[in-house]
Amino acid sequence: MANISGNAYALTALSPIKNGCIGEISYADEVQDRLHGLGVCEDSPLAKVPQTYLARFFILDDVFYESTPGCDPFCNLLDILSIFKDRFRLLTLPREDHLKSRYLVFSSNFHGDLETYLRGMWSAINADIKRIWEHCVAFDGVRDAEGFITYIKRCRLTANLFFMGSTDDSLEEQLKALYLKQQFVKFAVSHQGLGAAELQEAFRVFIERVQPNRLAAPTWRPGQSIP
Amino acid sequence: MSKRLDLPDIQGNIIRAYGRFGFPKGRFFFLRIDDGDRGRAFVGTITKRVTTSVSWGPPPKGVIPKPEAPINIAFTYNGLKALGLPTASLAGFPQEFIMGMKKRKAILGDDGPSDPEHWDKVWAEDVHVAVSINAQTPENGQPLEYVEEAYQWVKSRIDGSDGGVVLLTGHRGDDGQEDLPFQDASILYDENDQPCAKEHFGYTDGIGDPVFEGQITDEHRVAGRGKLTREGGWAPLATGEFLLGHPDEAHEYPPAPAPILLSRNGTFMVYRKLHQNPASFERLLDAHAESFPGGRELLAAKLAGRWRDNGAPVVNTPDTASKAAWDQRFAAADERTRDGMLADFRFDLMGDKCPIGAHIRRINPRGSLEFGQEGAYDTPGALDDRRRILRRGLPYGVVRDRGRDDGNHGVIFMALNTSIERQFEFVQQQWINYANDSKEGSDKDVLLGNHDAACPSKMVIHADPKSGQPPYFVDEIPRLVETRGGDYFFIPSMTALRMIAKGKVDPT
Repeated sequence: MANISGNAYALTALSPIKNGCIGEISYADEVQDRLHGLGVCEDSPLAKVPQTYLARFFILDDVFYESTPGCDPFCNLLDILSIFKDRFRLLTLPREDHLKSRYLVFSSNFHGDLETYLRGMWSAINADIKRIWEHCVAFDGVRDAEGFITYIKRCRLTANLFFMGSTDDSLEEQLKALYLKQQFVKFAVSHQGLGAAELQEAFRVFIERVQPNRLAAPTWRPGQSIP
Repeated sequence: MSKRLDLPDIQGNIIRAYGRFGFPKGRFFFLRIDDGDRGRAFVGTITKRVTTSVSWGPPPKGVIPKPEAPINIAFTYNGLKALGLPTASLAGFPQEFIMGMKKRKAILGDDGPSDPEHWDKVWAEDVHVAVSINAQTPENGQPLEYVEEAYQWVKSRIDGSDGGVVLLTGHRGDDGQEDLPFQDASILYDENDQPCAKEHFGYTDGIGDPVFEGQITDEHRVAGRGKLTREGGWAPLATGEFLLGHPDEAHEYPPAPAPILLSRNGTFMVYRKLHQNPASFERLLDAHAESFPGGRELLAAKLAGRWRDNGAPVVNTPDTASKAAWDQRFAAADERTRDGMLADFRFDLMGDKCPIGAHIRRINPRGSLEFGQEGAYDTPGALDDRRRILRRGLPYGVVRDRGRDDGNHGVIFMALNTSIERQFEFVQQQWINYANDSKEGSDKDVLLGNHDAACPSKMVIHADPKSGQPPYFVDEIPRLVETRGGDYFFIPSMTALRMIAKGKVDPT
């Protein structure tokens, strides 16, 4: 099924931004400005959203114009016919498409099902959500988590591409695994050359400290950028 | 090797690493052009003495006698601008060349002690021109006699430019000087005062210097220095990797400014003064000498990928027993066989012979990035062949006290390539300071990496998985090499030099 790979979900939602302005700033530019004001890494609101592997916002201003292909036998034929009538030449030119509005794009790869994720997102950062989506068409009807879920589902696209740097395990599992890997490297480096008994004892202390079966702590924090 | 290059049009330092051809001394100095007309006249005068790539020796093979002191010249972007190149030509240069080395510091990892604020003062100047002198030593007389002669000749032309050309000062010297007008360099001498190809850490430098099509006629030098073929052989690299205006490994002309006469047979030069910290290096070896199985010298060999005494590739001599056998064969071999023993090898897949993080493996993986996926690319070295650089530098300074890092000693690193960004900068960023390609986590190249005391890196010396032995970790690696200056230069062809001198560069 599209959007799902194992336990991972790829969400891409396009929310149309209202046409028009606040004073001399368009709604879309205002949203853009608010996005630029968001923190990154530890300070990103998305670091607070449970189970987020990788997420991003951006503004889709318009679609790109695809110019004439370099070599196409059919077009060349029409090109030749243009010696009779110019409309043959015009027929070969690609149409210029435009969007009816600019879009706020929210793209997130996460663990679990969509509704649970969006409910968690609402509960973690609903103030940020309201501020980011404020100028999107029909968002003023969103009052609670269920309303947000319905809204995002209406904006959702089919997505088939997933964030490569992640498995489909829960975020806690992955962050703990990352933490354990780093700690184990440090352990291996700082204890090389010890005898078996000494090494075993050191390893026991190490395991007690890092607690591999306890996901909550110690671990790598979501969004953490510096060890 | 059927390709014939226009050797009289190509500056001599592109084709030849002078250090290997009996020119043990070097002097590098930098100029600023204050007046376009007088600057162009100066370039015209110097061009008459610039050494080309024609062959030396008695006719018919040789064109000229071997010169005592070859002179070569190169320009920064600002230098070409000062010489009045048209904007349309200037705009055709690659952006990294236009920006210059200082502004690329984030890519190059020039941070902390390598930050441009700590460079020799000359690099705070507006550097326009690089002049290099390489010289033989006279049989009788002062070792620097030929250097000095050539230098005085250039200097008299600078003095005669009536202020149009200014010699920039600000090089650090051996005795605490801060404002020397030139950077001297010299190959090092061994304990018997014999010239050798080593640098200050004791390794033999430059063995794997690449060869490209049209460059040389002695076929035996291709093995280990060219590119790997699917059949397991070696072929010279495409000329366009090192000379503009010729097809490169992607079967394209490398991007170059117009007109073609300006760029063809020219190339780009990376000049870097790299200070070496011998005390830190000795301490690193000492810290692991006892715990590393195999001892201090094997450890040193594993770090670099070559043994320090004779340059033996550690992939073929991974322990003392195999090294002893190799040494015996090496001692009995003729010059050509020796060269093959040093250069012609490939790396082991698992890295238990030559570690994957070893310096010579990181900077030139010799097809080993296929990682056991035989046939993954068109040729085994497809990923490496576009990341090769010609090495044209020399060591500088003398280590008077191996217990100290300060002082004036290191390597004048000169790398030649047609794309600084694709070749030199890629190697520096991705293979020296990052380890994604070598799959070594966040480890950096031991010798050249910008190791950070706050976040010290390590290197893994792999063990044979069948041996049951654990790998060995070299940890707490200090910064062993620090950048002390440098910039990006364009080495024009002789034709281009004459055009620049005449103000006749026309991109239309």
